[in-house]
Amino acid sequence: MTPLDRTRHPPALTPGYFSSVTRAPREGLIALDPGEAGMTGPVFGSQAIGPLDDDLIRNAALPGEQAIGPRILVHGRVLDESGRGVPGALLEIWQANAGGRYRHARDGYPAPLDPNFSGFGRVLTGEDGGYRFDTVMPGAYPFPNGPNAWRPAHIHFSVFGLAFAQRLVTQMYFEGDPMIARCPIVATLPTVQAVEALTARYDPARDRPMDARAYRFDIVLRGRLATPMEP
Amino acid sequence: MRQTPSQTAGPFLHIGMMPDTAPLALARPPGEAITLRGVILDADSAPVTDALIEVWHPESGWARGATDGQGGWRLAVTRPASAPFVSLWIIARGINTPLSTRLYFPDADWQDDPAMALIPPPRRRTLVALRGADGAYRLDIHLGGEAETVFFDI
Repeated sequence: MTPLDRTRHPPALTPGYFSSVTRAPREGLIALDPGEAGMTGPVFGSQAIGPLDDDLIRNAALPGEQAIGPRILVHGRVLDESGRGVPGALLEIWQANAGGRYRHARDGYPAPLDPNFSGFGRVLTGEDGGYRFDTVMPGAYPFPNGPNAWRPAHIHFSVFGLAFAQRLVTQMYFEGDPMIARCPIVATLPTVQAVEALTARYDPARDRPMDARAYRFDIVLRGRLATPMEP
Repeated sequence: MRQTPSQTAGPFLHIGMMPDTAPLALARPPGEAITLRGVILDADSAPVTDALIEVWHPESGWARGATDGQGGWRLAVTRPASAPFVSLWIIARGINTPLSTRLYFPDADWQDDPAMALIPPPRRRTLVALRGADGAYRLDIHLGGEAETVFFDI
């Protein structure tokens, strides 16, 4: 397993993102080879996926109804560092509704809830590491971090690869959003290239005409899968 | 290709990771059923009430739990037969990149574990659970402060 690339991931302590200050360990991390146990991980098969888990427009909607908001599909591949697709990776997805409100007891933003939208999704990658889900474009929303801080539109991802050491939690942003450059959480990322890697590209070739616009977001997990043996 | 960077899970991770309707779960491997529990505290010893913790070992199985209003968590797994520890993985609002640590069983031979040898002796105890009267293994996790838990770069 290749190490977690600490020049790519945000450091623990990022004072511009206030919540990190009391939750960042100050002692150095102890470097540890993940070993054999770290090369294993929980395996979730298709039984973990409900029939509408990849359709956030409908999976919490009343019969015959749909979520409100700009209709999009998000697709891409889960890859390892050698560019090989990771099959059977489980993606857990959550997001605010089109108004920027989460269906969560602790979200007090006055934008209304959508009775037909929960913001929950789950999808498993195919043989080539590919995935796709349908949703609505999430709204931006403010959060308590100084006098005026906003989150850009984003979708949260939790990813299970083939090994527990590949576990990833991240957020996907949308190309062209002026809020990205102003967000204190985006600013925890160490480089411009890291921000770019979390920015989904509009992908008109994959639009569903008269239905939904497509965004592409590839996810690269640490490590390399073994090269298949030549026959 | 370069690794996709991490971002915090934020305060609303329950929507995607602890859904009421279809909780993610795996069957527990055969063996001794045990309960792991504890609290997660921040550098000011305030409870972290919006964290999520996962446990994994090939012999323990996988489980996850969210912290409650007091920062408390509880996980049901199988006691590994051949290892003195299980791995823990923690995310929350304010945690930019997930934190990895371990829970060692107090009645196992943890002193001789190779990972323990990498840790300054005074800090080793931060990873050793206590056995409660209820039979559960208790480990409190301190994200900072004087009792800061040892976290690994795995």
